[in-house]
Order: sequence, then C-alpha cells, then structure tokens
Amino acid sequence: MMRLLALSLLVMAITPTAQADDMKLSVKPLLCITDNRNEVCEMSFLVVWESGERGYYCLFNDYGEAPMRCWNEEREGRLSDDRAVRETFSFWMTGTDTADRLAEVSVEVLRMDSDDRRRKRRTRHVWDIN
Amino acid sequence: MLRQLIRLALLLIAFLAAPCLADEEAEDAQESRWRLGAALGYGIRSNPLVQSDDIPIVVDLDIAWFGEHIFFDNGDLGLTFADNNALTASVVARINSDRVFFGNTDRRFVDFDITGAPLAEAIEFKPPDRDYAIELGVEMLTGGNWGALQLTVFQDVSSTHEGYELYADYSFGWRQQRLYVEPSFGLSYKSAELNNYYWGVTPEEAGAVALPYEADAGLNWHARFMVGYQLDRRWAISLVAEYERLNDEAAASPIVESDRVIGWFAGASYRFGR
Repeated sequence: MMRLLALSLLVMAITPTAQADDMKLSVKPLLCITDNRNEVCEMSFLVVWESGERGYYCLFNDYGEAPMRCWNEEREGRLSDDRAVRETFSFWMTGTDTADRLAEVSVEVLRMDSDDRRRKRRTRHVWDIN
Repeated sequence: MLRQLIRLALLLIAFLAAPCLADEEAEDAQESRWRLGAALGYGIRSNPLVQSDDIPIVVDLDIAWFGEHIFFDNGDLGLTFADNNALTASVVARINSDRVFFGNTDRRFVDFDITGAPLAEAIEFKPPDRDYAIELGVEMLTGGNWGALQLTVFQDVSSTHEGYELYADYSFGWRQQRLYVEPSFGLSYKSAELNNYYWGVTPEEAGAVALPYEADAGLNWHARFMVGYQLDRRWAISLVAEYERLNDEAAASPIVESDRVIGWFAGASYRFGR
C-alpha cells in the first residue's frame, strides 16, 4: 500500500499539469545562419500551437514583454512572424498566468564566420567545412 | 641566396613577434579558442606515383586552438605577428604535405623496363622513400566580401629537401542559410630543390625500371569545390572535390604515372562545443 502511494506521488511529481502537458508549440525554421555578409537573419517564422483543452492562451517571445498575440477560448492557433534577428531567442506560450510557460521553443541563430581569419585558413583537410 | 634571405626574414619576424607572447590575453568569452570536429564518410585522394595506392579518407579529425597570437591548426604551429583590418600575418611551422604520397607505395616484381621492353628476369621495384620535411614560413591571410586570399612562403628548416614553396589560394564562399558553396583555386610554386627531392630519382635509386631524373622548379595549380549543408548547430553534411595539376617537372618523373591528384570526400561532420 505504501509502495503504491509512493509510486502515485512520484507519477504526480514528474507529470506536469494537464494544461502544460497538452500544449504543443512548433516553430519553423528552428535554425537561422548568419555570416560576415549577412549579419542579420531576416526570416519569416511560422508559429503553430495546439492545446488539449480550450482556454485563454498567449504567445510571447524574447523581443517584447507584451504578448505577440492572445487567443480566447481556442485550442489551436498559428501566427506568421517576420523578424530580423541576430541572436538565439525563444517563443513560448502561457495561459492566464503569464509567468507559467506552458511550452517553449528556441530558435538558434548560428554565426558561421569568425572575425579571426586564421579559422578560415586552408588546411590539408579534404572535407574542411565551417 | 634566396634561401638565406628567407631565413633572415623569418628570424627577423620571429624576433619582432616575440613581445606579442607576453601580451597573450585571457580567453575570449565570445568564441571558444578550440575548434574540435570529426568527419565520417568516404573519399579518396589519388596517388600520382607509380605502384601506389590511392589514399582513402574515412574519418578525419579537426583539432585546432587559436590564441591571441599563438595557434595550432591540425599539425601547423603558428605565431601571429600582425592582425589588422587589412591582413593577418603569422610565422608558421608545418610538415611538408608532398611526403604523404610516398607512404602509400607498393613493392612489386616488374618484368619490363622503362621503355616497355621485356626484361630477361623480373626485378623487384618500389618507388623510393622520402622523408618528412619540417618547414617554416610566413602566411598572410586577407579577405572581405570579395573572398579570401591566402599567401604563404615556406622554407625547409630540417635539411630534408632544402627548398621552398610559394603558395596562393583564393576562395569565395556563398551562403544561402544552411547551404554553403565555396569554390577555390590557387597556385603553388615549388623550388628546384623541393621538386627534385620528392620527384627526382638519384643515380643510386635508378635501375632498369627508373632512370635517373632531376626535376627543376615548377608550378602546380589546384581547384576545389565544396558544398556544405548545415543540419543543426553541430552537424553538417559536405561534399568536396579537389583537383591538383602537378607541375611538368614532377609529372615527367619516372616514378610519377599521373600528372594530377584528384580528391573527393562526402560525409557528415560534427563540431564539438559549438
């Protein structure tokens, strides 16, 4: 009996709330590459979310404190976001409690060129790639 | 005379650069000093020598460390003495790359001579061996939106071939997000001493199969084309093809059967710590 109780407590501890667990957030693309010629990534991000239950949800990103958009009594939504970025940033969804992130996705900005010319010197590597 | 001048210039540069060592600064938080990677795939680099095997490429490691002035790049040791908006110049010590072909030769019985005429008795023949040479030189790198240019001059300091090499390579990289394309081409002038050490045949090495041969200075040229596709932060796939035309003096050697070196590689590469 005690073992069953302990197992139940463990399951409760590792299982997020139903709302958080049901929230699915996807962003495309997830990787943006910059170099010396294009130091800024100008991309159109498609953000799609889906929740297990209808409710009030808001989409945020690192570029503002205010939500990008909120949906009321919805269980799914999408948004196209045109943006110029230089650094890795995140999109996340919240419910009514905006401090509680239900789902979060990071968009990586990868800088391929270095300011150090020596890193581009020709070596004997046949496969040599950035 | 030229050799002495190059040695003198290198000594002077090393002397001038010495104070830079004391200024070695703390690690840059923005970019790791290390560049560690590995590539797995398949490729081949052809071997121009007679009775030789092509050089397979299955796994290739990339190990480099770049300090403010000192750097190590896959066997090359460098000391950067000038770095500004126009160029980056370093003194570099390296091992000559021509030697690599001589480690992939075969001993075979041959029953015809250099003219193709049959021999009375088959004789054993193996292309002569050559030593690695340690070379010291100056490397200058410059670049911009127009591309990247690498100029080097290297002199043997190990008394192996006692020659020098002048090298120039131009590359232009073009990126469309994950896709990267980089064609490059260049020239390499090999002095008579260098060329003759690696591609010549001494009277002691000569026989019925290979007559004595003395190679003079010559000019190699090369072209390379690389396509890469970045899968994520660390993984990329790449396809590289390389063509090098040996200088006529090397190509005419009796131990050389092809005047070109063709290399290609296709595989996946992983960059640690990015």
